[in-house]
Amino acid sequence: MTVDISLILEARDLTVGPPTGAANVLDGVSFKLHSSEIFGIYGESGAGKTVLSRALAHWLPEGLAYRGGSVFFAGRDILDRSAKTTWRIGRDVAYIGSKPQSSLDPTQPVGVQIAEKLRSVRPEWTTRDCHDRVIQLLTEVRIPSPKERYWEYPSKFSGGMMQRAMIVDAICAEPAVLIADNVTQPLDVTIAAQIVALLHDLCLRHKMATIYLSSSLATLGQFGGRTAVLHRGRLVEEQAFAELIRAPRSDYTSRAIASVPRIWSTSERPMSRRNTTDEPLMRIQDAHRSYRARKRGTFNTYRNILAVRGVSFDIMPRENFGIVGESGCGKSTLTRLLAWLEEPDHGQIVLGGVSLRTLTPQQLIEKRGEFQLILQDPYNALPPRTTVGRTIEESLRIRGGKGLRERVMAAMQEVGLPGRLYDELPNALSTGERQRISIARALILSPKLLILDETLSALDQGEQAKLIELFSALQDKNDLTYVFISHDLAMVRKVCTRIAVMYLGEMVEIADNHELFFDPQHPYTKALLSAAPTLEEKPFDPNDYLLEGEPPSPIDIPPGCSFASRCPKVFGRCRVETPRLREHKAGRFAACHLLDEMEDGRTVAA
Amino acid sequence: MLILEFLAKRIAQGILIVVLTSLIIFTLLRVVPGDPVRLIVGGMAPDNVVEEVANKMGLRDPIIVQYAHYMAGLAHGDLGQSYIRPVSGGVAAGGQYVDPTKSEMAPVADLIVERLPLTLQLGGMALLFALIMSFPIGLAGGLHQHGWQNTLAFGVQSLFVSIPNFWLAIILILFLSVKLNLLPALGYKGFSYVLLPAFVLAVEISPFIIRTLTTSLGEVMQAPFIDEARVRGLSRRRIIYSHALRNAAVPLINLLGIQLSTLIGGVLVIEYIFDYPGLGNLTVVSVLGRDFPVIQGIAITTSAVFVFINILVDLVAYLIDPRVEI
Amino acid sequence: MTVISTDVAVPEPTRTMSVNRRILAAAWGTRSFRVGFFVFVTLLLVSIIYPELSSISATKMVVKDKFLPPLFLGEKWSWIHPLGTDQLGRDMLMRCLIGLRYSLLIGIVTVVLVFLIGCGLGLLAGFKGKWWEMIIMRITDAQLSVPMIILAITILGVSRPTVPTIIIVLALSGWPLYARVARSAAITERGKEYVRGLRVLGATDWRILLLYAAPNILPPIAFVAVLDVARMMIFEAILGFLGLGIQPPTPSFGSIISDSRKYLINAWWIATSPGVFLAVALTAINLMGSTLEKARNRIYGGA
Repeated sequence: MTVDISLILEARDLTVGPPTGAANVLDGVSFKLHSSEIFGIYGESGAGKTVLSRALAHWLPEGLAYRGGSVFFAGRDILDRSAKTTWRIGRDVAYIGSKPQSSLDPTQPVGVQIAEKLRSVRPEWTTRDCHDRVIQLLTEVRIPSPKERYWEYPSKFSGGMMQRAMIVDAICAEPAVLIADNVTQPLDVTIAAQIVALLHDLCLRHKMATIYLSSSLATLGQFGGRTAVLHRGRLVEEQAFAELIRAPRSDYTSRAIASVPRIWSTSERPMSRRNTTDEPLMRIQDAHRSYRARKRGTFNTYRNILAVRGVSFDIMPRENFGIVGESGCGKSTLTRLLAWLEEPDHGQIVLGGVSLRTLTPQQLIEKRGEFQLILQDPYNALPPRTTVGRTIEESLRIRGGKGLRERVMAAMQEVGLPGRLYDELPNALSTGERQRISIARALILSPKLLILDETLSALDQGEQAKLIELFSALQDKNDLTYVFISHDLAMVRKVCTRIAVMYLGEMVEIADNHELFFDPQHPYTKALLSAAPTLEEKPFDPNDYLLEGEPPSPIDIPPGCSFASRCPKVFGRCRVETPRLREHKAGRFAACHLLDEMEDGRTVAA
Repeated sequence: MLILEFLAKRIAQGILIVVLTSLIIFTLLRVVPGDPVRLIVGGMAPDNVVEEVANKMGLRDPIIVQYAHYMAGLAHGDLGQSYIRPVSGGVAAGGQYVDPTKSEMAPVADLIVERLPLTLQLGGMALLFALIMSFPIGLAGGLHQHGWQNTLAFGVQSLFVSIPNFWLAIILILFLSVKLNLLPALGYKGFSYVLLPAFVLAVEISPFIIRTLTTSLGEVMQAPFIDEARVRGLSRRRIIYSHALRNAAVPLINLLGIQLSTLIGGVLVIEYIFDYPGLGNLTVVSVLGRDFPVIQGIAITTSAVFVFINILVDLVAYLIDPRVEI
Repeated sequence: MTVISTDVAVPEPTRTMSVNRRILAAAWGTRSFRVGFFVFVTLLLVSIIYPELSSISATKMVVKDKFLPPLFLGEKWSWIHPLGTDQLGRDMLMRCLIGLRYSLLIGIVTVVLVFLIGCGLGLLAGFKGKWWEMIIMRITDAQLSVPMIILAITILGVSRPTVPTIIIVLALSGWPLYARVARSAAITERGKEYVRGLRVLGATDWRILLLYAAPNILPPIAFVAVLDVARMMIFEAILGFLGLGIQPPTPSFGSIISDSRKYLINAWWIATSPGVFLAVALTAINLMGSTLEKARNRIYGGA
C-alpha cells in the first residue's frame, strides 16, 4: 500500500444533517486536498458551502451533526474521538469567513486579539515572538502602518482591511490547511479583486493547502486550479477550472455558467427612446451635500463628511440613466437628493423647469407625484403591519382621496400583482412581489420619473428579467423615465442607455452604454470594469488596472484628483489640481487630466 | 486628552442638570399648599409674627428672587439652615417659638456632610452583596439559555422583585435580630449595623442585575465573533471570561447607573426602618417635619451624586468598549 | 445565513402573524405567564367582588374581638375572621382586600398615565428632533437625577395625600424613563426604510408618526410596562408605610404593616397577611411582565 505523503486533507463520504433525521445538508461529500494546492468549490447560496467548510474544521453549527463519513487530516480521522490526533482547531486548519466585520470582539484591539489567538494555539511561542509575527504579517498583507493598526479596534477597520486582518489571523499559526468561505462576498469589486490576488499570493508563498469556496464562478476563475461544484449538499463534478467552463459534465454546472452575467460578449443593446430635441426632464446643477459629524469625544468640533461634491447632469425624457459606483461613493446620498428626501447644501434640482427648492410644502406634495423613488430593500421599505391594498392606496390618501379600491386594483394589475393579495400582509410575500407593491404605489401617482435604488439587485436572475420586461412595458405605455442606481455593472449594461460613474462624491465619467463599456476614458472606470465578476475575455488586461489601497475617507479628501491615491496612471498634476468633468468626445464626459493632456498634446501637434 | 474633554463636557452638563433639578424642587416646595412659616413659629403665633418672620427670611419674595439668593449661597457651599433642627441636635418642639434667623439652627450642609458617608457605606455594601448574590446566578443563566440555570435565574429574579423591601426588613428584624439575636438592627453603633439593611437592599437590587446579566450574556453568546472564536482556536474558558463577559459588562454597568435612583429610593425607606442615621432617614424626618431647606439640600446632593456616578459609569463603559459614544 | 439551507428550512406557520400577536402567543405558551395571569385575575376579582358582597366592615372597630388569630391557630380563631383581626378588632381579610383594591387601582391607573405622558413626550422628542428634543430630554435628565421616591414623598409630605394626588405624584415622577425609551425607539423607527418610503410618497411627519410609527413602537413598551404596575404598587405601599399614602381609616398595605410593627411578637399575622397578599400579587404581575419581556426579546432578537 502506498502512502500519499502530499495528501493533507481528505473528506470521505462526509454526511451532515440535523440529528433528528430529516434531509441532510451535506450528502456523501468526498475529495482530496494535497499540500500547497488551491482547491476551488463553487456553490450558490444554500448549496451547503458554509456547512461544508465548518464540517472540515470540526466546527459544526448547533443543530447539525456528523451522520457519516470521515475527515482525514495528515492521515488521521479528526472526527474519531478515540484516535489520538495531535490535530488542533485553529492551528492546523484555519478558517476565514464572509463576515470579517463581526469576526472579532469589538471591544479589543485587532492586533491584540490576533496575538491572543496565536498564543492560545502556539503556547510554545513567546509573547514577544507572537507580537512580532503579527506585525510582520500585517505588513505582508499590506495593511498601512501596521504598528498603529495593531492597537486599533475592529470598528475602525473597513471591510477590506478587516478581511486582510482576518487573513493574518488565519495564517499566523502556520496552518497546513486554509479554508476560505466566500471571503470576498461582502466586499466591493475592486477591493475583492485585491483580496483574491493577495490570498493567491500568500497561499503559494506560505505553502498552505487552500480550499476556496465561493458563490461566484468568476472569482474562482482567478485561481484557476482544480474546481468542484457543490449542489444541494453533493459534489456534482470536479475538473480543472478551464475544463469546467469549457466542457461542464453536469446540467447544473452548465446552467450555473450560463447564468453568469455577460458584459461584453452580448448582443443586447438597450435602445434609447429619447429625442435629441427634448428638453431635459430633470437637471441637477452643481449639487453638494455634506454631513456634519461630531469629532469623537469633543465638545463642539465638527468634521464635514463631503458625500456629494458638485454633481451636475441632465436626465432626458424617456431615457434609462444609470449611476454606478462602489460603496461610499455617494450614490445613496445622491439618491436621497434626487428623491428630495434631503435638500442639497447648494446647487439645485430642477424638475420640468421648476426648482424643487422653491416649492411650498403643499406644492411639494403635489409635485412628488411626478418623481418617485423605489427603495432598495424590499423587506423593510413597506410598512410592516399594513395590507397590500392599503399600502398602495396610501399614495392617494395622502392627497385626500377616498374609496379607491378600483384604482388600486388597476395599479396592481398593471404591475402583475394578483388581486387576491389586496388584503394580504406583505410579510408573507416574495421579494419580487414586494418590489411590485413598491412599484405599484409609485405608479398609481402617474409619475414621469422613477428612481430605482438597487431595485433589481436583491432578485434572482429570473425575477430580474421579468421586472426588466415590466419596466420596459411601463415605459412604452406611460412615457416613463428611469434612473437606475446600482453597483451591479452587468445589470446596468443590460438596461441603461446612458451611464454615470461616481467616485468619492463626484462624477468621473458619463457616457452612453456602448462607449462606456467598450471604450472607457477614465482610469477608475477601467479598473471597475476590469474587476467585474464575469467569465469573459475582457477588452483590457485586469492586471494593468488592479487598484492598490482603498478610497480615501470622505472627511479628509486630498487636494487634486480624488482618484490620485489609487490611480495607476497618476502624474504630477493630478496631486495639485482637481480635474473637471469635460466633454472630450461627443456625448462623452470624463474628469481626468490624462485626457486633457492628450488633447492638449494633439492640439499642440496640430 | 479625549477623556479630559469628555470630563469637561459632562461636568458642564452635570452642573446644568443639578441647577435644573434644584429649580424643580425649589418651585415644587413653594407652590404646594402649606406655609412653612406657620410651622416654624408654631400654630399659636399671631399673624403679624408670621408675616414678620416670613419677611425677615425672604419667604414673601418672588420665587425667582428666592431662588437667586439660594443659588448664590449654594455657590459658597451654603445650603441654608434647617428650620427645626438646632445645632445641638434634636428637633425643636412644635409649639415653642424659635427664631430660625438666629444662628443656633444647624446648617444644612453640615447635616448632610455628617450623614453622607454612612449612606455611601450602606449603598456600597448593598451593591457588593447584590453582586455576590447575582453574579453566579446571572452567569449560569446567561450561558445556559435553555437549561435549568436560566429557569433558576428567572425564578430568583421574579421572587426577589416581588418582595416589598420594608416588609422583608421587618421580617428579618423580627427573626434575625429579635428572635435569634444574630445581628444588630436598629440605630448605628458600628460596622455590624450595616449588614442587615445592606442585605435587604441587595435583595431589592439583585433582580435587575440578574436579569441584565442573563439577557446580555445570552445575546453576546449568540454573536458571530463568539462562535468564530472557537474555530480560531480559543478555549471555552477564554471565550467566556475575556470576551463574552467583557461585552456583556457594558449593559450591566449602564444598568447600575440607571438603577441608582432605585437604590437611593430603597436606602431612604430602609434607613428609616432600621433607624440608620444616614441621608435617607434625614430625608424622611425632614419631609414629615416640613424642613424645606434640608429637603432641598438633600435633593441637590443626591442629584449631584447621581450625575457624578453616571459620568463614572459612562467613563468605565467607554474604557471597556471603545465604541461607546462619550 | 447559509448555514440552514433552503432544503431544511420548514416554512414557519407563525410568520403571517404580527409581531405583537406573536409575542403574546409566545408568552401565553409558557406556564409562568398562565400562572401569573390566573393568580392576578383571581386576586382582581376577589378584591372587587368580595368586599361588595360581605357585610363585614374593614374599618369598624370591635374591641372585644381584637388580636384574633387566623383560622386554626391559637384558641380564639373564628370563621368570621379567616385571617384574624388587628389591634382594634378589625377583620384582616377585609382590610387586606381593600388594601389590595387600592393598590391595584393606583398601580394600574398610574402606569397608564405614566405610559401616556412618557411615551407621548418621548415620541414627540424622538420624531420631531431639534429643540423639542432638547427641552424634553433635558427636563427628563434633570428629573431622572432625583430619585422618584424623594420627589414623591416631598410633594405628598407637604400636601394632603388622597388617591388622586398619589396617582398624579407617582405618575409625575415615573414618566421620564418612558420618555427615554420611547424617544430612542422613535429615533430607530424614524431611520427605517418604510418611513423613508412614506416620505417619498409625500406623507407628513405627523401622519407617519400617528398612523404607522406609534403602532409599532408602543406595544413592546406596553408589555414591559406590566412590570411597572408592580413597581408602582410597591411605591404605594412604601408611601403608606411612611404615613404618606392613603390616610386612615381606609386601610392600605403600607399603613397596616407600619402599624403592625408594634405587635410583631404577639400578633405576627397582622404584618404577615398584607405582606403575603402584596407579595403574591406582585409575583403574579412580575411573572406576566417578565415573560412578556422575555418573549419580546426573543422575538425581536430572532425576527
